[in-house]
Amino acid sequence: MNREPLFRRKTAISYKTEEKTVMRGYDLSEMAEEGYSFSDALFVLFQSRIPTQNEEKMLKYEMGAFLEHSMSPSAAGAIGVINGRPNLPAAVAASVMTFGGVHGPGAAHGYMMNKYIERARVEGKSLDEMAKILVDEYMDAQKPVMGMGQPQHRDSDPRAEPIHIKQEELGLNGVYLEFQRAVEKYFHARRKKEGKSHVGVNVVGAGNAALCDLGFAPNAAWCLGSVCRGYSCAAHALYHMKKGRAWGASKNEPMVQMIDLSMIKYIGPEDREVPSQEERQEYARKQKEEGEYKKWVI
Amino acid sequence: MGNLENKKVVGNLGDERMPFDYSTREYGTVPPDDRDPFRWVSEVAYKNVHRIVARGYDTTELVEQGYGLVDILFVNLQSRIPLIEEDQMLNYVMIMSLEDGLSLPAAISRIVAQSKTFLTQACGASILAFGHAYGAYSAFGNMLIDYLARVEKEGKTLAGVAELLVQEHLDDEALGVSGLMIKDPAAKRMFARAEKLGVAGKYIAFTKEIVKAAQKINKESVDLDMLGATGATMMDLGFTPEATWAIIAVTRSFAAGAHYIEEVERGSYARLGQSLTPKEDYDGPADRPVPPLAERDKNAEPAQTHTIEEWKKAFEERKKTYGSGYSIVEEIEDPSQKTGIKKVGR
Repeated sequence: MNREPLFRRKTAISYKTEEKTVMRGYDLSEMAEEGYSFSDALFVLFQSRIPTQNEEKMLKYEMGAFLEHSMSPSAAGAIGVINGRPNLPAAVAASVMTFGGVHGPGAAHGYMMNKYIERARVEGKSLDEMAKILVDEYMDAQKPVMGMGQPQHRDSDPRAEPIHIKQEELGLNGVYLEFQRAVEKYFHARRKKEGKSHVGVNVVGAGNAALCDLGFAPNAAWCLGSVCRGYSCAAHALYHMKKGRAWGASKNEPMVQMIDLSMIKYIGPEDREVPSQEERQEYARKQKEEGEYKKWVI
Repeated sequence: MGNLENKKVVGNLGDERMPFDYSTREYGTVPPDDRDPFRWVSEVAYKNVHRIVARGYDTTELVEQGYGLVDILFVNLQSRIPLIEEDQMLNYVMIMSLEDGLSLPAAISRIVAQSKTFLTQACGASILAFGHAYGAYSAFGNMLIDYLARVEKEGKTLAGVAELLVQEHLDDEALGVSGLMIKDPAAKRMFARAEKLGVAGKYIAFTKEIVKAAQKINKESVDLDMLGATGATMMDLGFTPEATWAIIAVTRSFAAGAHYIEEVERGSYARLGQSLTPKEDYDGPADRPVPPLAERDKNAEPAQTHTIEEWKKAFEERKKTYGSGYSIVEEIEDPSQKTGIKKVGR
């Protein structure tokens, strides 16, 4: 059997020989035998260090809270993909890939915090002062403040505040939590002043502040949050695969299915004849000149 | 809707062999029928404005009670709270599954990273590496289930069925026994830990018999590998082959994220057209002049065959063209019932 490296790279993450697999210097099998947890291993993976007991507890708590979120873009993506009955990993991969700019944008929130904390350092301001600047800059520009609000949990994300409290209980509060709390304070105050409804912190705001205080870089934190959702999306995909009906359009089901024809609402151009090839050039020229098509360009 | 009453017949759509009059087929979307409206039906989880509930347990209350990610995998996929020993065992398995050096998932993640993408694209892509050869947990698990059923059904011994399985799957990448872990004790240690924790069951017992049978038949040295160790242990923890497949693939994806990050930190991005493929790696047709378009008929060879013999001859000839797909045989089935047992590949 060919055991030549598939891909050559200088790497500081791991090596693998016929005798062992070593991650950041630790033999994986020795780590498992010693009784370290999976959460511990994630600290080793991303930070090359064994965490304190409370840090391990916090990550375990957070990932437990992140794992399941019922119907979100990630679960919907997994279900949509599995309806065609590809191999299961395709559905799970799709679910992880739904994490982008608005669904669990952990990295973006982390980079935002880093940017403003650095500004506080350079400009000689306190975290509290810089939090107000952040809120004002975002709200003046009519941009959503990352880490605040959730379209489904309109009266506050059930995971968010408990994560803040757990972080404090475990004595893990650092600059990120202080900054995030200050952002929340000024965000709430400004919305109140403007007569707007209360919008709570979301799991990105709370969870990412904790992950950053645990030493995870923005992308590492994003990886933890978004990949662990893959587990629950696998469960959702499996449920549909094993107990649901493929395709999601059957007329024989008692309930209208996800992509039943009646679910389609069309608001595009009116039905029209396809021009023949003889008519084509003149038709196309006219269409281009009239420019009506431009309103449909996406 | 546009007025299309006097539509012209388009192309062959007016052909008398058409089973319907195409020109009079209806336009317009389909109105809702009187069935219940669509809803996301789930037995896994629900949420409302205030709570997220998985298998009946509020997830925030679960973590407040000290349950973590590993416990919640049991909740989500098995609808139960695991024993402490089961939780310990799954932690062990997940640590062992986290990193595997620069194997397929890490390599894919790094390749995707080179195109300046989101991290999540690289992590997702790494999950796609899990098929019926690399990380073949569904194929392995379903094979165990099928053959174990024969012990009862056909009144055979465990050792006898294991021998049969090995005879029929000797070269199968999903056998769980290979020469990969001869010098590395990690796979055998996993079984020992499962036994020590009291969570080993029929799948580990059967896999041990498979190892014995494979060692008897094989001329080369073979032993339990990580696929066999992980797959059997996960199934003794109560996970289905498919759930195992997903859990291990997602677990590996965390490390794929680290590989993405390192690739970005230490490497550079790739541009379209940048990568060259050396001619010495090419073994296709020799360089040849492109024939003039006007001489197409002279040079073109039609693909159609008109007898079974001609078809067979052409089929075999086409197999010589790598990349044509003629050498691959697949039986693509609905994987809802069984995954990994169908033939995919050569």
